[in-house]
Amino acid sequence: MTKNNYNIKYKLESGTKKKIEILDGNQSAAWGARLARVEYVPCFPITPQTELIETIAQWKADGDFPGIFEQVDSEHSVMSAALGSAATGARTFTASSSQGLLLMHEILPNVSGCRLPMVFVNVSRAISAPISLWPDHNDMFAVKDSGWIMVVSETNQEVLDSVIMGFDISEHEDILLPVFVNMDGFVHSFTREEVEIPDQSVVDVFIPKKELKVKLDVDKPKSLGIPALNEYMDFRSQHHKAMLDSIKVIEKCHEKWAALTGRKYDFFEEYKTKDAEDIIIMLGANSTIGKSAVDKLRKKGKKVGLLRVRVLRPLHESLLRKKLEKAKRIGIVDQNISPGSSGALFQEVRSALYGMKPKISNYIVGLGGKPVQDKDFMDIFDDIKKGKEVRKWLM
Amino acid sequence: MVNVKELAKQEEHMTGGTFACSGCQAVYGLRLLQMALGKKMIIVNSAGCMTLTATYPYTCYKTPWLFNAIENAAPTATGIEKGLKAQGKDDVTVVCYAGDGASYEIGFGPLSGAAYRNDNILYICYNNFNYANTGHQVSPATQEFARTKTTPIGTKNKLGNIIPRKNLAKLMALHDIPYAATASTGYQHDFIDKVRKASKIKGFKFIDLLCACEPGWLVKTHEMNKVSKLMVDTGMWPMYEIEKKKVTINMKPLMTPVETALKMQGRYAHLTPELIQKVQKLVNKEWEMINAGKFWEADEY
Repeated sequence: MTKNNYNIKYKLESGTKKKIEILDGNQSAAWGARLARVEYVPCFPITPQTELIETIAQWKADGDFPGIFEQVDSEHSVMSAALGSAATGARTFTASSSQGLLLMHEILPNVSGCRLPMVFVNVSRAISAPISLWPDHNDMFAVKDSGWIMVVSETNQEVLDSVIMGFDISEHEDILLPVFVNMDGFVHSFTREEVEIPDQSVVDVFIPKKELKVKLDVDKPKSLGIPALNEYMDFRSQHHKAMLDSIKVIEKCHEKWAALTGRKYDFFEEYKTKDAEDIIIMLGANSTIGKSAVDKLRKKGKKVGLLRVRVLRPLHESLLRKKLEKAKRIGIVDQNISPGSSGALFQEVRSALYGMKPKISNYIVGLGGKPVQDKDFMDIFDDIKKGKEVRKWLM
Repeated sequence: MVNVKELAKQEEHMTGGTFACSGCQAVYGLRLLQMALGKKMIIVNSAGCMTLTATYPYTCYKTPWLFNAIENAAPTATGIEKGLKAQGKDDVTVVCYAGDGASYEIGFGPLSGAAYRNDNILYICYNNFNYANTGHQVSPATQEFARTKTTPIGTKNKLGNIIPRKNLAKLMALHDIPYAATASTGYQHDFIDKVRKASKIKGFKFIDLLCACEPGWLVKTHEMNKVSKLMVDTGMWPMYEIEKKKVTINMKPLMTPVETALKMQGRYAHLTPELIQKVQKLVNKEWEMINAGKFWEADEY
């Protein structure tokens, strides 16, 4: 379907009317799933994701959610049930956080390895011990090698849009990989923002129900998920290739969604980076605070900018290098730590920029939800201005 | 009861030539299961010996087969059942075929969860009383005094495994599921009847299927089916059905001396005559209790 068809359909069925609501991140994700007409949602409660599944549970109780919703016995069983459901071709959605994500980690590569489409929302929260209820990205980075397409949101609107776009990418017949949408606990999950809820007719045109070609079907029996001893590496290389191929599909998806809603997303969001010499690179909700620091410094005439990584997997390295061609000094702000090494985003980005000129520093901030203010970002900009490559913690 | 004539006419849904050991009773159980249910079934497998029966690029199954991991056959089947239901399909039997380690131990929580939810699944535990695929380690299904690789006989330990086994069929029945039963590949007709009966019931059904294991039990290949039968005849593997806590002992054992079955199995080669007598006494006591109507109090050997 071409871009034009989308426009026509949108105008015909929903006119120009926009439905704006004040939603928190959990509700936004639930709305994404509802509009995608997901058929099965297995779930297990964990803070701060609980309200997401409770929202769907209430809709179910009110007759507003036609899919099957059920609470099962653990996050491990949630992901197992999600795999089973996706293998029958049912559109499947679920969510978790932190320890829950770690418990389901074993099954994440099974879903992607079986090449099953689904969308999963992680409401980021620091991992134990000690227990923290507040957000950081160590849970998400712990599962970054599970073979899932990973999208990290900054706003509640982006959470909703990413869930819907997730199904478009995930179910593409050349890709067939699950999509992981990240939002930050509390900062997204319990904070209300203005969110436009797209019209159902728009979403129906955007992600119509698709037939899965290889699935559990008694008329066309297949053995799925089975051992491949000598051919293992072939399967992995195909998986990797699909991940790289998804770059084109994601680009197309962003274009289509922009045509329908006017909201254009990219692999990396550039904020005043065009002429910037000093650039902060980060991801997640705190980017909003980083942007406000950029604004303040820009007023003082400083050439600073912020680049937000939105699609973490696949990491579009060539695009990243292009976008940072002119940067002189880069500060990578990580809300996670790989103890004994550095922040995980630092490892990723510095490796992608190998051979390029800029000085690259790493700042660890906001672990366990430790508040970050625009002043912190201004300090970071001051620090990178010195032109030294440093690794620091903002305590 | 299904008869031999009828069975001979059954279409088979499994081809010959798998990676399983010669005489493997678990593969035999799968073959019987498929004969019982026909092609409208989806099998979910847990990591174990049966996982290797479908190894890329080969598969011996003409019905859909899904492998996920070791501890999650039950919730995976839950997802399949619900996924099909959400798409308006409810004429397929979703079967779990998982080993005793996966069912009795590592996957017990998820299994209990699926039983609690009364998901419409037929769960068959192919029980060879040990973690066979990893080379025969002790599992909670291993009987007292059996030797395994992690309960070996040594200069100090002359007993092998000293922990009495868990009783999964009873435990599952206590979830108030509509059907829980034990079976043995030594009594094929009984197993097929139980599978057919269970598949017609809506809700969670559990069958604990005794499957002798050639390298684990150290039994001669040609005696594999015989020993599966003898375990029942000696009373060591009681055969019963529990429907909503109502118990039916559907095979009275001949009470053949346990020694006949134990002597066929290398895993019991270390048993002294005294220990054999001890096992006999345990089994006798169990059946005295069962015959006296005290099924729930009886400790199963």
